[in-house]
Amino acid sequence: MAEESARSQHGKRHSDFTLRNISTYLILVIGALIAMFPFFWMISVSLMTIGEAQGIRLLPSEVHFENYINAWKEAKFSLYMWNSVRITLLTLVGELAFSTLAAYAFARIKFPGRDIIFGILLSTMMIPAMVTIIPNFLTVTWLGRIGPLKWINNWPALTIPFMGSVFSIFMLKQFFAQIPDELYDAAQIDGAGHLRFLWSVALPLTKAPVMVILILSFIGTWNALAWPMLVTNTPEWRPIAVGLYSFIDEAGQMLNLMMAGAFIAVLPVLVLYFFTQKQFTESIARSGLKG
Amino acid sequence: MAFKKSRPSDQFNPRAWLNPRRLRNWREYLTGYLMIAPSVILIFIFGIFPVGFALYVSLHKWRLKRDVIIGLDNYVNAIGGLAYLMFFALGIGLLVLAFIQFRKAFRKRPGNPWQSYLLNIPGIILAGATLSFVRWTVALLPHILDIANKITGVEKTRLLFIQLLNESFNAPDVLQARSLMLWMIGAGVLTLILGAYLIRVKDNLQIQGPLFISWFCAGTGGIILYYVYSEMMSDYHTAVLTGNDPGFFSQLIGILSGLVLLFIGYKIWQSAKDQRNTWLFIIRLLGAMVFVVGGWIMLGELPVIVAAGDPDLWVGLRATLFYALGTVPFQLGISLFLAILLFQNLAGSSFFRILFFLPYVTPTVASAAVFRQIFSNRLQAPVNSGLRLLGIEPLQWLWEPKGVFQLLATSLGIESWPAWANGPSLALVVIMIYSIWTFVGYDTVIYLAGLGNISKETAEAAEVDGANRWQVFRHITFPLLSPSTYFLTIISVIGTFKAFNHIWVMRLEAALQTTDTFSVVIFSEFYEKLRYGYASAMAFVLFAIILILTFLNTKIQGSKVFYG
Repeated sequence: MAEESARSQHGKRHSDFTLRNISTYLILVIGALIAMFPFFWMISVSLMTIGEAQGIRLLPSEVHFENYINAWKEAKFSLYMWNSVRITLLTLVGELAFSTLAAYAFARIKFPGRDIIFGILLSTMMIPAMVTIIPNFLTVTWLGRIGPLKWINNWPALTIPFMGSVFSIFMLKQFFAQIPDELYDAAQIDGAGHLRFLWSVALPLTKAPVMVILILSFIGTWNALAWPMLVTNTPEWRPIAVGLYSFIDEAGQMLNLMMAGAFIAVLPVLVLYFFTQKQFTESIARSGLKG
Repeated sequence: MAFKKSRPSDQFNPRAWLNPRRLRNWREYLTGYLMIAPSVILIFIFGIFPVGFALYVSLHKWRLKRDVIIGLDNYVNAIGGLAYLMFFALGIGLLVLAFIQFRKAFRKRPGNPWQSYLLNIPGIILAGATLSFVRWTVALLPHILDIANKITGVEKTRLLFIQLLNESFNAPDVLQARSLMLWMIGAGVLTLILGAYLIRVKDNLQIQGPLFISWFCAGTGGIILYYVYSEMMSDYHTAVLTGNDPGFFSQLIGILSGLVLLFIGYKIWQSAKDQRNTWLFIIRLLGAMVFVVGGWIMLGELPVIVAAGDPDLWVGLRATLFYALGTVPFQLGISLFLAILLFQNLAGSSFFRILFFLPYVTPTVASAAVFRQIFSNRLQAPVNSGLRLLGIEPLQWLWEPKGVFQLLATSLGIESWPAWANGPSLALVVIMIYSIWTFVGYDTVIYLAGLGNISKETAEAAEVDGANRWQVFRHITFPLLSPSTYFLTIISVIGTFKAFNHIWVMRLEAALQTTDTFSVVIFSEFYEKLRYGYASAMAFVLFAIILILTFLNTKIQGSKVFYG
């Protein structure tokens, strides 16, 4: 018995081309083909002429890279792309700075009401976005109308509401809490305060969760549709998702340009995904992002 | 010692405040508060305050601009008589919470009964103060909102703004609410300090905290119950005056008793499971069935109430239900299968994992736009040309509002297909396919993580005992994966209620709103029809549904999920 199972174990490790493995590969390949078909079709059509794009061809007879240039110009993609980059950067910087400070305080400083405040913050994660989107729109419009700073069609409405992130605070807090007390005691003997300790000891140890937050916020900002659609009615600060959404209707029959536009919108995320593949998968698996 | 751990003030003792060690701690406290300030302020403005504001909006007629207060009418328009039930349940829930907190404080009460009675006084007054603070904000809010209207057209200066702000803080109704609030807060703080001096109890703050929450919940719950009752009565009287049938009392009683009967049936069913005696088991089973059937009969009033609500909302809810049923099982099944294949660690499996995960990472608007073209109604579109290759009639796909089962019946030549069996529209099915395509990668990653946590010894032991691959999967791997399955089910079901981006991109007028799930209905009500008040009310209905799902999930989690 034991010998037999040992032999089967042994056999498993070395035979990669048994009948079972071939059928496994077959299924995986079929699955991958289905998963990849939309990408293949998008790229293929984006390189066709209008006539070909509307026909039933799967591959272009001739590669037309100029579609990308046309889409880029016609749909103001350069502006939208730049907007998305600006919005993402501003949100990330603000979110990371504020969340780090708050997470550090929640994890390592004791002050009255700390756990109650943290509990209240955590409970807000249950609130669906549709409840807060209407009042937030009213708030943002009001802020824009009373003050000197323009909110609608400008960066504040697109970035400031997302700079306070319960999720980031939660993640960083978990991490800061793991730093041993001895480290802080030592730093304090050397005369370092909380901020100094945070900046030169705690933060350099926190690269992994910071990466997770960066990736998740990047995807969130890049994907957001409802809120940016509400607060941008001119192209001036419109991010790429909204720009592409309006371009879908404008492009109408010009499928090739539409697909070129879609690919332009997808490309930065894919590049980031392939470079940080492992952290990317892990960080998304850890949250339940994307509604 | 260089570093002393600061202790939170768990004893509310005024004399200790002047202790020098405490004074040193104040600096520490201040640092803490300053560090959390930016995040907390932002989350308050854009995450917590909006909930109250949305409630405020939902009680108004609010089409683009604020109009008159109409009470619960938005809710009644949306879900009919269930609106009263919803707020009634909220009020009862708050009372239950008050009771729980009260019991928590009661356990730590001092031995002297008079002292424990007196300890309630600060809690009562402070709860009243909090409620008067809420009243003050509600009085202030319209004045503050009006500043924006007053300031447009005029040159915006800081002086003008401060003047307008001053005016709104000093409006007569605001002042009245403010003086009440200040008196209440003063009295509350005074009694709190006096209480701490006069009644020396251990853990004073740990008694006062729950007592305050308890009285606050009791007060809020009581106000909500009274408000719902008065709204119901006024609706009842208008119905009597206009000669309509005010049937909702009997309906509500029917629904409530139906729910209670179902609950009793469920409890008996649970007790039957543990019963070893066959006869007792059968008797309990029969009893449970009687209660469940009775409950269903009482719930028979439900369709009447449903008919009184907004058809758009019920169509949206039905679409959400279809969407959940049509995506979650398939997506979980496919991804479990793929995860098991990938877990064998064949050469290249990490490459396949990257490919399967790709759809999930892709920006939603772009991939939904591609799907919109692939499932286009054009004859040359990929799916339709594929169908033509197979000799099948091309379909309208995203342009098709008819139900899939109805379409199937028509193509099979069945003439009289019942309307209730139409199923989801073909357009919604395309959206389901998109959703499965997107989420399979995510679910696979979660399942792979779950598989990695299972120890190999159990499966190997079973193999040694002669179990075949299917038996190992069915009796060992699958049960041990139940935490992952459970997590994914919850995430996906709640996700279907929140689903928005891809549906918004793929919804077409030709599909006659058959693709609109709950979130999309809310957003279109707000964004396209500009009915802010009504959309807010609907959003709270969504919130209630998500809360109920979360509550049920914590109940099920304890009994069904096996954490190996």
